[in-house]
Amino acid sequence: MDLQKMMDLPGALAAFTYTDKGDLQSHMLREGTELTPQVLDLLTRSCVANQAIAGMEARGWEALTGQSGFQPLKGFSVVGLEWSVVVNGNAGVVVRNRDADYEATFNALQAA
Amino acid sequence: MQIVKQLMAIPGVIAAGEYAYRGDRFSYEGALTDEFARMASILCRANTLSVNMQSEIFDSFAENCGCRPVQGWIVRGARVTVCTIGNYFAFIENRDELLNDVMTIMRAKVGDIQDDLLVSLYARLGGDTKEALY
Repeated sequence: MDLQKMMDLPGALAAFTYTDKGDLQSHMLREGTELTPQVLDLLTRSCVANQAIAGMEARGWEALTGQSGFQPLKGFSVVGLEWSVVVNGNAGVVVRNRDADYEATFNALQAA
Repeated sequence: MQIVKQLMAIPGVIAAGEYAYRGDRFSYEGALTDEFARMASILCRANTLSVNMQSEIFDSFAENCGCRPVQGWIVRGARVTVCTIGNYFAFIENRDELLNDVMTIMRAKVGDIQDDLLVSLYARLGGDTKEALY
């Protein structure tokens, strides 16, 4: 995972990787951002939890409705007031909402 | 329902709807049955409650860090994406630029979600829903 490449995404404030358990492994923070490594450490744990929940919901939704196209999941994002966190697998990017390009961010995480 | 109609006018939007934060009502348009729309509304409400709880925790560690109040969330599937802003949801195809367009429209039309969202979400749980939740 090239964190510097992730930081080049539009509006990127932070890029990070984490373990399957949600431990923060590596990160880069944009200078001047309000985010701290401690917040990122909490964020990575929520990323693991949210992806697990979304996976369960996608699986259940497809089984119950017969609709397809949800699995396998390609990522999850939480949109906050000023920034969004976009994650897929074991990596994520925090992007400023006003500059965010969600598609490019999801695509970059998938390619990583 | 005006926002739902506007979303449904965009090619690639499969279904869109609105659900009550209290969890007792919903409305929708598009390729869902009543039962599926009810399920989608429950799912969206549960996820919204969950990410709001998470943002409260982040905020307790770093006040005004920019995450709270949560505006919505996105689940990116293999061919379908579900996006939610406030109490509106949309099921959309994974087409070029569609997600960005839908998110821009939803953010602009729904407006900024305020702090009273959690009070509404917790309204059915009883107790003093205005006190701090952590």
